[in-house]
Amino acid sequence: MLENAWGWLIVAYLFLAGAGAGAFVAAVACDLLAPDWSKSLARAGSLASGPLVAVGTMCLVFDLEAGLWQPWRQLYLVSNLSSMISWGVIVLSLFIPVALLYAAALNDLTFVGRYAKKYVWHLEVAGSVLAVATAVYTGILIAVVNGVPFWNTPLMPVLFLASAVSTGLAVAMIGAAIIDITTIRTLSNFALGHVIFLAIEGVVLMLFIFMSLTRSVEAAVSANMMISGVLSPYFWLLVVVLGILVPFALSIVEYYEYGKMPKYLVVGADLLVLVGGMSLRGVIIFAASPPQIV
Amino acid sequence: MPRYGIAIDTTKCIGCHACQVACQNHNQLDYNQRFNWILERDRGKYPSFDKEFVPVQCNHCEDAPCERVCPTAAIYTTAEGIVHIRSERCVGCKYCVEACPYKVRIVDHHKGIVTKCWLCIDMVRKGGEPACVTTCPNQVRIFGDLDDPNSKISRFIAEHRAQPLRPDLNTKPKIYYKRS
Repeated sequence: MLENAWGWLIVAYLFLAGAGAGAFVAAVACDLLAPDWSKSLARAGSLASGPLVAVGTMCLVFDLEAGLWQPWRQLYLVSNLSSMISWGVIVLSLFIPVALLYAAALNDLTFVGRYAKKYVWHLEVAGSVLAVATAVYTGILIAVVNGVPFWNTPLMPVLFLASAVSTGLAVAMIGAAIIDITTIRTLSNFALGHVIFLAIEGVVLMLFIFMSLTRSVEAAVSANMMISGVLSPYFWLLVVVLGILVPFALSIVEYYEYGKMPKYLVVGADLLVLVGGMSLRGVIIFAASPPQIV
Repeated sequence: MPRYGIAIDTTKCIGCHACQVACQNHNQLDYNQRFNWILERDRGKYPSFDKEFVPVQCNHCEDAPCERVCPTAAIYTTAEGIVHIRSERCVGCKYCVEACPYKVRIVDHHKGIVTKCWLCIDMVRKGGEPACVTTCPNQVRIFGDLDDPNSKISRFIAEHRAQPLRPDLNTKPKIYYKRS
């Protein structure tokens, strides 16, 4: 009767939408701020962002039941603007095409890309706003739920945005290494980004846990589940150590040892950030506990 | 229009689950699906222990969190104050299940939609009472119009100062409890 309503598909969606939105922001930042040798990073980030968010959205659709079997029911999804899901449908359906057009423009894909190239500046501005909206939305989606006191905090969108930016940067860096392995040396320049965003993510996560412990009885139950209960191995190992501390340390080394770090460690740090981002969503969703009503 | 609610006297509940079975029967639910059930709580101090049975079901909140979060506007409040689902609009996103603080909504995996207690509105509109109310062997439940100060339920709530569960959540439930 008290089954978990949301499971892995929602976790995957929260992660993929965050990583895709973050990859877009990373691509725009690289395209605007960095010199020519970082173009492969911008290309990789833009190529990854649209498809990642689209696959995440597919996860949402597959989590539906009647709406999946009778897809016309999905037309109703924008009926209630006081529901975050209605807003999410609007934001996602605007962001995915913009991200795909931006990827086409940066990579000169077909005639669409050549046409979109004229409007690259517009795409960057509109896309960045929509990307931040997408990342923040994944947090607000669960932050407005008062049936789960643990999620019901304004820190949630902040935490998810911080995680989205660091996972997005990781996606762009892995993509750049795949597109052009010779850029692996120049990736060291972006290690500083990991240092900054992982630090922010770590601090917000710490605040979130500490405040949950005192906010309400139910939030404390969930927080304790994460730090010392059934979810603690996943939280400490996957989220804290492998997802934040190890890539943080590796990125510092990478930044100072400019270009001398072995390739597998550079890409490994990025993969760990992705593992951490997915696990963070997982433990938060599975730590949900309802209000105590009797 | 009346504003229907139920008052529940937990001091009379013996935990027989007849209300649950009557509900499953009336709504033709599977054995593992239920719109109402009984939570148990041990309370008291040695030597006077006590097990309290608290029947729970949809609270038909006036400020219903489920109604606010439903993206398809499938959830609405009827003129009688009953929170109801238009099943043809529900897509099964389960957002309302997460939003409900009382966790009294269930997923019907056959139809792929979310469903819950509807205060047997079909029988109530014909002048009857919900199945859980009429079946209870101890008359734990009192059904009636909360807006009528002379109804049995209003007098019961006034006399025993019955309260909803977790009134601090500000959802204004219409199920009241006398718990001691």
